[in-house]
Amino acid sequence: MFACFYVPDFPVQAALLIELPQARNVFKQSPLAILDGPANLPRVFALNQPARQAGIESGMTKLQVETYGGVLLRKRIVSLEDSAQSTLMEFAGGFSPRVESTAAGTVTLDLSGSEKLLGPWPRVAHHIMSSAAKAGFDLHIAIASNPDAAFHAARVFPSITIIAPGEEALRLAPLPVRILPASPQTLEILEGWGIPTFDALAVLPTVAIAERLGQEGLYLQKLARGETSRPLLTMEPVKEFVASFEFEDPVETLESLFFILNRLLQQLCANLISGSFATNELRLTIGLEVRQLQTDGNKELYQHEWKLPIPTQDRHVLFDLIRLHLERTTFSAPIRELIVEIVPVKPRRVQGNLFLPPSPEPEKLEMTLERIRGVVGSNDEEGIACVGSPGLLDTYRPGSFTVHPFSSMDNTADSSPAARVVAFRVFRPALETSVKLNQQKPYYVQLWHRHLPVLAASGPWCTSGNWWNAFIWAREEWDVALKTAAGIGFYRIYRDRLRRQWFVEGVFD
Amino acid sequence: MQAALLRKQIEAELPSAFTVYRRKALGCIPTGIPQIDCAVQGIPLHALTEICGSNLASSGKTSVLSSLLAHASRQHFCALVDASDSFDPTSGASIQFSRLLWVRCGKSKARLGRLEQAFKVADILLQSGGFGLIVVDLSGLAEQRVRNVPLSSWFRFSRVIEKQAAALVFIEQEPHATSCAGLVLRVSAEPAAFSGNLFTGFHLKAEVLRGHEKRPVRSERSGFSLHTQWA
Repeated sequence: MFACFYVPDFPVQAALLIELPQARNVFKQSPLAILDGPANLPRVFALNQPARQAGIESGMTKLQVETYGGVLLRKRIVSLEDSAQSTLMEFAGGFSPRVESTAAGTVTLDLSGSEKLLGPWPRVAHHIMSSAAKAGFDLHIAIASNPDAAFHAARVFPSITIIAPGEEALRLAPLPVRILPASPQTLEILEGWGIPTFDALAVLPTVAIAERLGQEGLYLQKLARGETSRPLLTMEPVKEFVASFEFEDPVETLESLFFILNRLLQQLCANLISGSFATNELRLTIGLEVRQLQTDGNKELYQHEWKLPIPTQDRHVLFDLIRLHLERTTFSAPIRELIVEIVPVKPRRVQGNLFLPPSPEPEKLEMTLERIRGVVGSNDEEGIACVGSPGLLDTYRPGSFTVHPFSSMDNTADSSPAARVVAFRVFRPALETSVKLNQQKPYYVQLWHRHLPVLAASGPWCTSGNWWNAFIWAREEWDVALKTAAGIGFYRIYRDRLRRQWFVEGVFD
Repeated sequence: MQAALLRKQIEAELPSAFTVYRRKALGCIPTGIPQIDCAVQGIPLHALTEICGSNLASSGKTSVLSSLLAHASRQHFCALVDASDSFDPTSGASIQFSRLLWVRCGKSKARLGRLEQAFKVADILLQSGGFGLIVVDLSGLAEQRVRNVPLSSWFRFSRVIEKQAAALVFIEQEPHATSCAGLVLRVSAEPAAFSGNLFTGFHLKAEVLRGHEKRPVRSERSGFSLHTQWA
C-alpha cells in the first residue's frame, strides 16, 4: 500500500510554517495571499480558503487585492517552500524509509509491510494527520494500492481517503480529468468529446483510445481506472544544514532578528537530531540593506563564524552564542537577510573519568567566554585575542606571545616540577622614558615623571632580528635596580637602536 | 543565671541567634613556595585571598602569583583576570597554559574601565564555575581607584566563593577586602643578588596579615629566595 500526503495551498502553508503555532492558527482563519512576480506588478500566486471565499483569485494584481481590504499579503519566498518540502520529506520519513518527493507539497511513501507495526490503515492515517498538525501542516492523506491512485485521491479528496485494493476505479470515478498529467491538446480533445471525469474516460474502449490518442491516451485511461503500477523514485532525504530567511522589510531591531533566528536554529537542530549529528561549527551571514563600510572594503554581508570545542545539538547554546555576539555588534544598515549554516559532525561520545580535575562544562564554557568577550572585547589593536590561553611564539623577538582559544577538554597533566623563578611584569605598551648615562651606563632613569637613581645596572645585552623584512628590531637591554620611594625596583629598560629611544619594558616582581 | 535564662528564651525564638558563623576550611592550593605553604598551608579554597605588594618597587607578588598558577594548573583549571594586561607568558613558562584562561582587560574600546571590566569578568567566572583558582590582578591599577571599590563588592565576592570549591585571589598594592578576606599576604623584596655584573635574583619576605581561621592578628613572616631564569 502507498500513502500520499498532499499539502493544499502549499506556498501559503510554507510561508506560515515559520510562525508560532498560535499565530499560525490565526493566519489560517484570515484571508491570506502570496504575491509573486516583478516588483512593480506583483500578482497573486497562491491563496488560502478564506481568501477564496472573500472573492480573491489567483493572478489578481496587488492593487486589485488591496481593494478587498483585510487581506494579508506576503511576498513569495522560494527558500521557505524548499525548506517546507524538506520538512515534509523528513516528516514522511518518520513513517517509512521509502519516500518520494512527488511534487511541491506532495510526497508519496511506501507503507508495504508496516501494517503490523503501525496498525490498521485508518488508525495510521489518523495518527499521521494529528502528527502533521503538530508539525504545522494541514494534509490531505490518501492510502491506495498504487502511488498514482493515492496521488490523485489526495489531491482532490479532503482529510483522509482510504481506497481498498480493487476499488480504485470506483473511488476515483468522480475526479475531474483536468488533474491528469495530460498535454493541453489532449485535455482539449477530451473536453471536446464531453469527457469531464475519470469514470467517463475509464469506460471508453481501449483500442479506440489508442487509435485516437496514442500511448498517452492509454496511460491516461489506466490512471483513470487506477490500474497503473510504478516504482517510487525514492531518495534519501537530504538534510538541510543551511537555513535562511529574507525579510520582506529590512529589520532594525535585534528582537525581530532573534525571533527568526530562533526558528531557523530550531529547524537546523531538528535536522541534526534526526540525522544523529551534532555541530561544532556555526556560520552566520547577515545581508544588509545598503553597503556597510568596513575596514577591509565595502561589503554588503556581515559574516561571523564560531568553532565550538565540542559538538552540540543544543539549540539554546547556539542561540545564546549568536545573541551575545550580536548584542555587541553594531550594524550601520538595516538587516535584509539572515543565513545560518551549521556543519554536521558526529556527536561527542566520552566516558567520564573520576580522576580528572573539575573543569568548566564545555557547553557552558563557550557561553562564559562569549560573555567575557562582551565585556573586554574580542581582540586588541594588534589582532591578538583578549580571552584565551597564553602561548609562546617561535621567535626571539622580546615580548612576543599569542593567545590560543581556551578549551576545558585538555586533560593532559604536566607532572614536571614547577621552577621557582622571578616573574616579570610587562608594561604594554612599553613606557617611553629618558635615561642619563654615565660612562655608557644608565645613571638616572625617568619613571612616571620622576628621575630615579640607578643603584646597579646589568648590561648591555644587544639583540636584533628580522633584518630581512619590515619587522626589523634591534635593541640593547639593561637590567637596572632603581631607588624608588617604596624600595628598590628591578626594572628592564632598553634602547631601541632604530628609533634611538629608551623604553621601560617592565619590572621584575 | 539570668543570662542563661535570657539566652534560653531568645534561642527558643531564634535558634541561631548565638551561633558563631564559621567559614568553611576545606583544603588549600599550595603556592609552591615552601616557606609560605608552611606558614599558611597554601591558598584556601572557599575563601577570598589578597596578595599585596608595592607596585613601584619589586615586591615579589607577581612571582608568588606565577608560582601559584604553576602549581594550581596541575590540579585545576585556572583563570587570570589581568586588569592591566601585564602578565608575561615567557616568565610563566612553568604554568600549564592549556589550563589557564587569560583575560586581558582594557585592550579594546569598551565602555567600561579596566577595574570595572576585571570585577565583571570575575563575577562571570564565579557564576560559570569549574575553575579551581580565579586570580584577579589589580596591582597595575591606580591604588586610589581600587580603594574606592565599595565594601559590599568584596563582601559579595567572599560570600559567592564560600559556596564554591575554588580559591579567589586578588593581587593588589594594599589590602582592601578587610574582614571579607580569608587570607591576606604582604610580600616585599630585599636587596637583589648580583653575580658580578649579572642580576640573578632577589630575596623575598612574606608576611601573613590575616589567617584562615580569623585568629587574632599574629603576623607571621617567612623569607625565601627566587632566581632569574638565567641564573
